[in-house]
Amino acid sequence: MRRTYAYFLSIMLVLISSQGNTSAQDTIQIPLKIKVGLEVAGPAAYFTNKNILNTEGYISVDLNEKKSLFLSAGYLKYEYSQYNYDYLNKGIFVRTGIDFNLMKPDKAQGKYWAGIGLRYGLSLFSSEIPSFQKENYWGKVISSIPLKTYWGHFLEVAPGVRAEIFRNFSMGWSVSLRMLLYSGTGKDLKPIYFPGYGNGAKPVSAGLNYFLVWNIPYKKIKVIMKKEVPEEPEETPTPGSEQQPAGIRRF
Amino acid sequence: MRKLIPGNLIIILSGLILILLSCTPGSCFEETESFLKVSFYDSTTKKLQAPDSLTIYGINMGTNTLYNKTTKVQPALLPLNSAAESCSFVIIINGITDTLEFRYTNHPQLVSKECGYTFYHVIDTPTFTTNNISYIYLARNLITNVNEENIRIFFKYHAGTHQ
Repeated sequence: MRRTYAYFLSIMLVLISSQGNTSAQDTIQIPLKIKVGLEVAGPAAYFTNKNILNTEGYISVDLNEKKSLFLSAGYLKYEYSQYNYDYLNKGIFVRTGIDFNLMKPDKAQGKYWAGIGLRYGLSLFSSEIPSFQKENYWGKVISSIPLKTYWGHFLEVAPGVRAEIFRNFSMGWSVSLRMLLYSGTGKDLKPIYFPGYGNGAKPVSAGLNYFLVWNIPYKKIKVIMKKEVPEEPEETPTPGSEQQPAGIRRF
Repeated sequence: MRKLIPGNLIIILSGLILILLSCTPGSCFEETESFLKVSFYDSTTKKLQAPDSLTIYGINMGTNTLYNKTTKVQPALLPLNSAAESCSFVIIINGITDTLEFRYTNHPQLVSKECGYTFYHVIDTPTFTTNNISYIYLARNLITNVNEENIRIFFKYHAGTHQ
């Protein structure tokens, strides 16, 4: 009973002291921004591999110091060829969702972003297999599958970072991990690559985007920051001092 | 602010490293041929029984045999002709000759980006002669590159001269 009383008393003391902490708070101003980003890894890769052209841009609007609405759109042209088939795909895609900044507002200052984006992607594309060949015991068969238009959609998780390099100009990257919802083509002729997603023959795909971002501040908000009050150092019991019940601090 | 510049550089460089690491070429490791998988059964005991000698070749394929007096084949793998909607085989089980005819439809199928495309087939009930074959059971009419039994041939195990 005595122990229970001591435990209850110690909880009360912790609650009272934590209430004292909340009153120790600070207010900082955070600029909310509209961000316009351009993906540069895709066009850069096109100079080394002319078979893939992926262009993408995005716009994101800060809702508060943590959350931003995200909308991106892009275009893909993909050509692939190997010894037994040729494949063509071109189309457009959009992604929309919310970005969460996991940095504390006083550290991010509206300039730095390290967080995660959760998005839904929709893709409209045309794919064609101009020729494929199959050889077996009976001989060689050459066939083709004509151009057809499909809708595909997917979910995306995109952790990443952005940092303001110059005033209102940021750079950064994000890793995209995508889960296929539907490739649009049925299970027999899954697209080898489709806009916004990647290899449609696999249920998950990954990608990397590298962004240049122009930031347009449109509003400032005040964010209340809780000050971290350093804990008092525990007193070391002096020899011969009276023993206290467990959990009770000495003042 | 000066303190933050190395941090920015780390962010940019780590992104470039990830780009370089993301390019990995692939190879084809999957089965690309859609074989019709044939299991052999003793028509008397109804149990799995590999022929003592098995020869199979496609009609009009001359001397190009799939199996030539091969022993203990279980199952036999028969490729279908994707350029046609039927094909026939001569099948010699323990020295006794029969013919098998399959009618089917062809469907192109992506195996993988690395392997390319193949054909799947949907077969009808096969027709056959009954010199040594008693009957045929169609277990699965979709012929794919997966290792699944498609037909069962029940034959007279003790009828032939075992070679």
